[in-house]
Amino acid sequence: MTAFGKNKEDPLKYVNNIPAENPHIQIKNKEICIDNCENKPCTYYCPGRVCSWSDEEQAIQVDHTRCIECGSCPWGCPYDNIYWEFPPGGYGVHYEI
Amino acid sequence: MGHDRYDVIIVGAGPAGSSAAKICADHNLSVALIEKGRFPGSKNMFGDTIYRAATEEIIPGFWEEAPIERKVIRETLYFMEADSFVEMGFTSFKFAKPPYNTFTVIRSRFDRWLAGLTEKAGAHLMNSTLVEDILFEKDGPGSKKVGGVILEDGTRIYSDIVILAEGAMADLAQEIGLRKKISTDILSVYVKELIALPREIIEDRFNLEKDEGMNIGMVGFPTAGAIGKAGIWLNKDTISLIVGGHLNHLIKNGLNPYQLLCRLKEHPAVKRLIDGGETVQYMGKIIPKGGYDRIPELYDNGIMIVGDAGMLVSGRHGTDAAMLSGKYAAETAIQAKAKGDFSKKTLSAYQTKINYSFFLNNLKINRKSSDYYKKYPDADFLISKTLNKLVYEFFTEGNLTQEEKFKMMLEKVKSIQPIFKSLKDFYHAVLNWRIY
Repeated sequence: MTAFGKNKEDPLKYVNNIPAENPHIQIKNKEICIDNCENKPCTYYCPGRVCSWSDEEQAIQVDHTRCIECGSCPWGCPYDNIYWEFPPGGYGVHYEI
Repeated sequence: MGHDRYDVIIVGAGPAGSSAAKICADHNLSVALIEKGRFPGSKNMFGDTIYRAATEEIIPGFWEEAPIERKVIRETLYFMEADSFVEMGFTSFKFAKPPYNTFTVIRSRFDRWLAGLTEKAGAHLMNSTLVEDILFEKDGPGSKKVGGVILEDGTRIYSDIVILAEGAMADLAQEIGLRKKISTDILSVYVKELIALPREIIEDRFNLEKDEGMNIGMVGFPTAGAIGKAGIWLNKDTISLIVGGHLNHLIKNGLNPYQLLCRLKEHPAVKRLIDGGETVQYMGKIIPKGGYDRIPELYDNGIMIVGDAGMLVSGRHGTDAAMLSGKYAAETAIQAKAKGDFSKKTLSAYQTKINYSFFLNNLKINRKSSDYYKKYPDADFLISKTLNKLVYEFFTEGNLTQEEKFKMMLEKVKSIQPIFKSLKDFYHAVLNWRIY
């Protein structure tokens, strides 16, 4: 899930996140990922690596606790198949420095 | 305590929203300023430069009390190759003295301070509150106006005017149809690491006096062929290192922004600048760079859109347009309140003010430039390569006569692309320097 490539540390340890219980990101239709989407760009363009492909489940797995709320995923999906909303007020990334 | 009716509801307490709130409250309008983060700035990730000329229109002499990190006195541009770079730059010591020019800020400090001023002026700041929907009311046969907002818990708050300062994602503006769906070709995604170093080391390393700052823009190597930029700017005791590019290019080239950042940190030019530093924060953000042609409808009956939500952003230049658009919307709201008329016609005064602004006119002019990069996405890459080859030959000693050397330099430049195209690439790179 955290695979950013060899020798790359996981930048998520530098993100202060207060995750809400319910995910604010969802795959709208899992069939589309299997039937239509060859490259699955959501598994690589996301700066937090929220989405990953699971061979076992044969589906994109979404870990919303990794989301840094950059806003890329709904626009980057070639099939408009990612639902994204802001986490509830007071939740999600929280920067205090 | 909260009420259920205000003159103005402002969604989002970033620079645009807080500027609007401050001016409305100063003119005795009742204002609700609604922020989804636990405090203003706690979810704000970019736009660490603030501009003196724009900010002092909202708060004269702000630099006396605002939480400023550094005063920027130097702008530098690196044309980068894997093992060399060509540098252009300018330093003004005038920028180190009042009234200064630009400043770096940390948003979780600056936005919080600015929102605090709106509270002092009488605005009601509601933190940790997400607006779920816009409320409409009938204002005549067949016509409706925006009449307030619905919060995520279902609470309804009413107002004469809603100002949307919700930022780049602009869910609400899109939901009510003022902003069209955006496409990946106008979106850039940037990531940033905040790297901590003692302030004396930062000042020594970058050749600065106390509280002076500088920006480095980087083109060529950092984005591995995608249209985009990298940059470094300095805070008191942290360095911001950013890199990013057009989302559609990153996707097409199979790139991840964090991997670009890691790759850049290993470049010898950057490595020595951040050496010994400790990463303390990682963040990312999309920036809608739609340019002039994609600016949405900015107003309707009872509503105005300001800042990033209205795509009033031109490259890294955003906080100045955000704050000024907030000011114009506030002035329009004050007039509308005096007239008791919140119709589209009255609020069109906001659009008129925007039309006369310098930032809208810049967006109009820069249309050509963004077309250039769409046509030649590798322009920055090619000009960086060309300049580095050229200057490398110029300085490499090889027992050549001057004539032989110049002939060789000319051949190197021509081998990459026609000279005229290189000149055009160079022109556009410099033109875009300020607005990367």
